[in-house]
Amino acid sequence: MKIWRKTLALGLAATMSLLLVACGAKETPEDTTGTSDTTPTTAAATQAPVKEDITISFMASQDWIQDAELELANKFTEETGIKVDYQIVPSDQYPSLLMTKLNTGECTDIFGGQSGQFDIQTQYNVEKNAMDLSGESWAANVDPLAAAQLTVNGALYGEPIQDVSSVWAIAYNKQIFTDLGLSIPTTYAEFTSVCDAIIAAGKIPVYEAVSDGWHHVLWLPETAVEAEVVSPGLVDKLNNNETTFAENDTLKLILTQIKEMADKGYWGDNYMSNVYADAAKNIASGEYVMVVANQGFGTEVNTLDPSFSADNIGYFVMPLADNQTLNVNPSGPSRFIYSGSKNADAAKQYLAYLASDESLAYLTENVAKFNKLPYSNAPSKYTDTIKDFYSRYPSQGTVFQTAVKYVNPQWMDMGTNISALLLGEMTPEEVLGTIDKTRAEEASAAKDAAWAE
Amino acid sequence: MNKKKVYPIYFVFGALIIYIVLFVIPSLIGIGYSFTDWSAYSDKLKFVGLDNFKTVFSSDEDYMAIIINTLEFTFITTILKNVLGLVLALLLTKSIKFLNFHRGIMFMPSVLSTLIIGMIFQSILNPATGLLNTFLRSVGLGVFAGKWLVTSELAFGSVMAVDIWRGTGYIMTILIAGILSISTTYYEAASIDGANGIQKFRFITFPLLLPTLATTTVLNIIYGLKVFDMIYALTNGGPGKTTTEVLYTAVFKKFGTGQYAVGTALSSVMFLFMVVIGVFMIKIMTKDEVVE
Repeated sequence: MKIWRKTLALGLAATMSLLLVACGAKETPEDTTGTSDTTPTTAAATQAPVKEDITISFMASQDWIQDAELELANKFTEETGIKVDYQIVPSDQYPSLLMTKLNTGECTDIFGGQSGQFDIQTQYNVEKNAMDLSGESWAANVDPLAAAQLTVNGALYGEPIQDVSSVWAIAYNKQIFTDLGLSIPTTYAEFTSVCDAIIAAGKIPVYEAVSDGWHHVLWLPETAVEAEVVSPGLVDKLNNNETTFAENDTLKLILTQIKEMADKGYWGDNYMSNVYADAAKNIASGEYVMVVANQGFGTEVNTLDPSFSADNIGYFVMPLADNQTLNVNPSGPSRFIYSGSKNADAAKQYLAYLASDESLAYLTENVAKFNKLPYSNAPSKYTDTIKDFYSRYPSQGTVFQTAVKYVNPQWMDMGTNISALLLGEMTPEEVLGTIDKTRAEEASAAKDAAWAE
Repeated sequence: MNKKKVYPIYFVFGALIIYIVLFVIPSLIGIGYSFTDWSAYSDKLKFVGLDNFKTVFSSDEDYMAIIINTLEFTFITTILKNVLGLVLALLLTKSIKFLNFHRGIMFMPSVLSTLIIGMIFQSILNPATGLLNTFLRSVGLGVFAGKWLVTSELAFGSVMAVDIWRGTGYIMTILIAGILSISTTYYEAASIDGANGIQKFRFITFPLLLPTLATTTVLNIIYGLKVFDMIYALTNGGPGKTTTEVLYTAVFKKFGTGQYAVGTALSSVMFLFMVVIGVFMIKIMTKDEVVE
């Protein structure tokens, strides 16, 4: 009896082990089939569009994807049968989530990411994680400046999502400025006088959104172009590790003035909990008078409130540290195809669809903030107000998140530190010191020769 | 003891192998990685000794503040959930009208997804447009309207309050089961002896409920040390640097930036905490247990 029981137990254990082994082994041939299947389909995809019942997943940060793009996705599904599953992530959580997905090898078929010639290598490691898109039909249409920010060793890895011609500047309510007899400030002192006059009129000068984690950061690296004007060659020195952020007085002054704006009440009471998505609503209501925004902001406000003319929004550069240089940035959110994607052909087909003449025209027409998408085949819709704004600032400088290495990848960390500055937990020197420390960490991890001891 | 009734030892092998392969070995590998320079930037691993632990405990970094935050969160939420859960359990074991309705209402928050609760409370606690401040202002208590989730002073308290609101119903349910299992004869005897309500609670309910309370305490402590989703959804560790940052949100961020080794070192520290606390709790719980 005892032996019979033992034999039964052993038999069961052996069967279980066999099952486990069988389950494990089954994956290998399936995987191999999956891989070998991909190649012929890739070849086919370049000739004829894929028409299958497949779903491509697309992960992006909250403010990057517009309703018009979602509508195009639906049209794409109607035409091809390929579904596009957009996974929109709150902007404060997106960078961590994207990096975790990339680092664990579980990314979506398409992922959104910021372009930047240094960062797409050191942060996203596009040569490993993304597919080379140089051979795609639309690749030659991408604006050369924007393409340079998406290219590594001659290969194009991304497709721009947004208009990069516009710059982050202060969008203001022209009517309120006229009513209060205010003119465009050209120095920080003039800016504070403007803000004081607006507060005296019972309105809040600036709508700022700290809770998103990214918007309030703009004040520093965008106005940092002034630091290059004051100390020519600063960008090169920073990239060659010959100086630091903490050593620069202009950057310190900018941070001091950011804190001063918040302390003086120029950002109102609720800047810590405000979200950027509500900016247009709050400017339209007249409760707030200015906001850091792109040049499509006037149209955005007009879309929300048709009685508010798009031309009632004017623009001027952020005058922190008396900056009067136009802060240009050829990089912006872009689409990348994950190298491990099983639906790469469908994803490529979708990117080609989005970069077609019709789609670009549709996006420009239906997204208020898009004036000129960075493609040679995209239409333009600049207004006189915007032309006037660009012509007002003859000198241009590239913003620090694009010009200086290892700044953009720590954008959200900078956001955390600047909010700590606003709460009085950190000093401007500490914030800049932390930026230097993080840059050094990233540089040494990327084995940057300039940081080698 | 009849030895024939006891199952042979090899019956445990199947479960043990699965447990070792899926839990013990990955944990040990994780601890092993915390002594290396594992990161997303390089495929090569180098043994770095205690460097990652030095970083974790360094005064230049914020990790100590994060560890203290985690312990503070665990300590405060455990006590308050137990106390409030006990009070509610006592109230909801009396014969009152709509008893099950009341129990259901109190238990409801525990059923909801933590992330959804986080998002709802982000809206409720918005200082400008949130339901709470709007209500306070409408009843003339505007002076109490605070910037709940966005100031250093209130954020951690607010996060803990939301978590206590969510978890109390669950603890209450376990305690109700504990109270109902106490024989009514004790209460009848106490009534005959002239004991009042407080005396009955002190000398009958509380001592007989202690094993249940020990269970709820352990559950709360483990939950508190591992808390992630509630903080992630409400504040993501902010405002500022580390106001509400806890171990798991910090580990998640470290993995997000590709600094795996520091992330695993932080997890190892947390593992150590949980082992120490776990052993300590098991000792306390089994102190008076009679082995048959």
